[in-house]
Amino acid sequence: MNEQNAVSAKTEVKDKKKKVRRMPYERRKALYGYGFISLWLVGTLMFFLIPLGKSLWYSFNKVTIETGGIVTEWKGLGMYSYALNEDRDFTDNLSSMLIETLWKTPLILIFSLFIAVILNQKFKGRTLSRAIFFLPVIIVTGPVFKIINGDMESTGNTGAEQFSTMFSTDLVGELMQFLGIYGLSDKMNTIISAVADNIFGIVWSSGIQILLFLAALQNIPPSAKEAAQMEGATAWEYFWKITFPYVSPFILANLIFTVIDSFTSPMNTVMKRILETKSEWKYGEASAMAWIYFLIVLAAIGIISAIVNKFIYYEVD
Amino acid sequence: MSDNTAAPVVKSEHEIGSGMSKKQAKKIRMQSMSKEEISYVRRKAALEKIWPFFRFVILFGLGFVILYPLIYMVSCAFRDRADMNDPTVMWIPRHYTIEIMKETIKAMDFGKTLKTTLLLNIGCSFVQVISCAITGYGFARFNFKGKKFLFLIVIMMILVPPQVISLPLFAQFRFFGIKGLFSINLIDSMLTMYLPAITANGIRSGLMILIFRQFFKGLPKELEDAAYIDGCGPFMTFIRVMIPNAASSFLTVFLFSVVWYWNDYYVSTTFFTNTNTVATMLYNIDTRLSEHLFSDATVKIDPRELIVWKEAGCLLSITPILVLYVLLQKHFTEGIERSGLVG
Repeated sequence: MNEQNAVSAKTEVKDKKKKVRRMPYERRKALYGYGFISLWLVGTLMFFLIPLGKSLWYSFNKVTIETGGIVTEWKGLGMYSYALNEDRDFTDNLSSMLIETLWKTPLILIFSLFIAVILNQKFKGRTLSRAIFFLPVIIVTGPVFKIINGDMESTGNTGAEQFSTMFSTDLVGELMQFLGIYGLSDKMNTIISAVADNIFGIVWSSGIQILLFLAALQNIPPSAKEAAQMEGATAWEYFWKITFPYVSPFILANLIFTVIDSFTSPMNTVMKRILETKSEWKYGEASAMAWIYFLIVLAAIGIISAIVNKFIYYEVD
Repeated sequence: MSDNTAAPVVKSEHEIGSGMSKKQAKKIRMQSMSKEEISYVRRKAALEKIWPFFRFVILFGLGFVILYPLIYMVSCAFRDRADMNDPTVMWIPRHYTIEIMKETIKAMDFGKTLKTTLLLNIGCSFVQVISCAITGYGFARFNFKGKKFLFLIVIMMILVPPQVISLPLFAQFRFFGIKGLFSINLIDSMLTMYLPAITANGIRSGLMILIFRQFFKGLPKELEDAAYIDGCGPFMTFIRVMIPNAASSFLTVFLFSVVWYWNDYYVSTTFFTNTNTVATMLYNIDTRLSEHLFSDATVKIDPRELIVWKEAGCLLSITPILVLYVLLQKHFTEGIERSGLVG
């Protein structure tokens, strides 16, 4: 009792103090808000916004580096037309990269959702399998992945080949024949072989995605599962009617993450080309290329999120 | 098993008594079910028997795809280079040697490199986690004018690839200072990594700010009110109430930050010409090897044999981070779920 009195007395004192101060609490709080982000604001101006603006400026200029600073010469859209019309390597890399992103991203999403559903079930050795499937997260952003991938390719060990060379048979073909789907249609054969050939890249670049989907799956209330079982839902129905709606908000997040990750991947050929241009001291051209790539991807993300957003189920609390 | 099948079982067991085998009980149970129910139960039982087998095959196969390069790495790093041309050697080397490891350590100047990396890595990660937490807290808990716009900049920070801004940044660090007054050359100094980290603008800081914002948004408002009534200012509230609550998410973000800084070679190759981290060393391992090991022109190394040294370098550079992962695996995988990135 005594303590409570003391506390209330304290708050009274506080209230009096507050009245003395002119500034209302809300505004004071807003000022504190600025205080909290001020450090970031300064840094962002210096290390993000100004460089971003400069790089946009460079992309319209011919840039030469001289002692004492950078000299720019206005060229208008000249650098962009150089990048698009004259640099064959860049346009080739750009189109192949975009096509690759286009078919790889959905595959990564489907694959990671599938694995997340499996890893969410209860079975022996679950912790170990989770640890293995998240392992790429710590390796894939670094140069180690580049070397691993390069060595695998040079020894002919990527994808399905890796198993085939080990067991010296065409494993994927055999499996398809075993399942009786080989030769159903040529198109399906090529698709399945393409997936199998790229399994290495797909598995290795879906660590974070699995992590996020798994987190989403654990948010599904147990009551939903119980209800579905009572009604006699099959696993297939359960997936489409319960699991999918619950994880759908994460599909967008994962999609954006996957696309952005491919930006900074050591395997990205467009970025490699940009860096090459940069090392030839063609800074204006390099900036223009970087901006073209960035804008295309940004536009793609915008369009896809607008479409996907229509089909997403958001739980209203 | 659905509930409507359980009820008749209990009943029938009561009627007939306990001296009945399981098979008989099942038969009686089946009789009381409709055709659809029977087929549902049968299908489910079959699936439950087959599925674990399929699951094992899938997980084992894909897990192998992930572990394969790592096993190969270990196998390569300790074999003689002649084994690379031996077609019978796939996994188990015929001639074991640690010479390759020793040579790679020498070529990468591993002791010094590791020291530089740790100094940069741990320091930057630590500083960046703190600055990002402060910023994230500011975005999560305070209302001020222009907040939406400023947060848009954070989103931009996630979206803009570092390659776009690296050149102006380089110029900025090359001539660091106020234009016309003074300028210092910061290239090759660790400040090029530390300054952005201190101001929450380092590697992937946008993502980290977002994570912290989501996390602090999820904490109950009562915490703040209670602290205010007890006489805490907003800053003290942050330090004494919010940080202890966020400890586990701090650790997760810190671990990811360590991994990202460890793996970064792009930013470091842009700003460093002489300072080498483990990642930049590995990125340039081909030239390093030819400079330090095969400077004698008469020695000809087959690209296939070169793999031995490369894999040894890989093994060296992922071992520290791998040990960290194995020890703190739980925080890597479970922290994100709790950090509030979800929902």
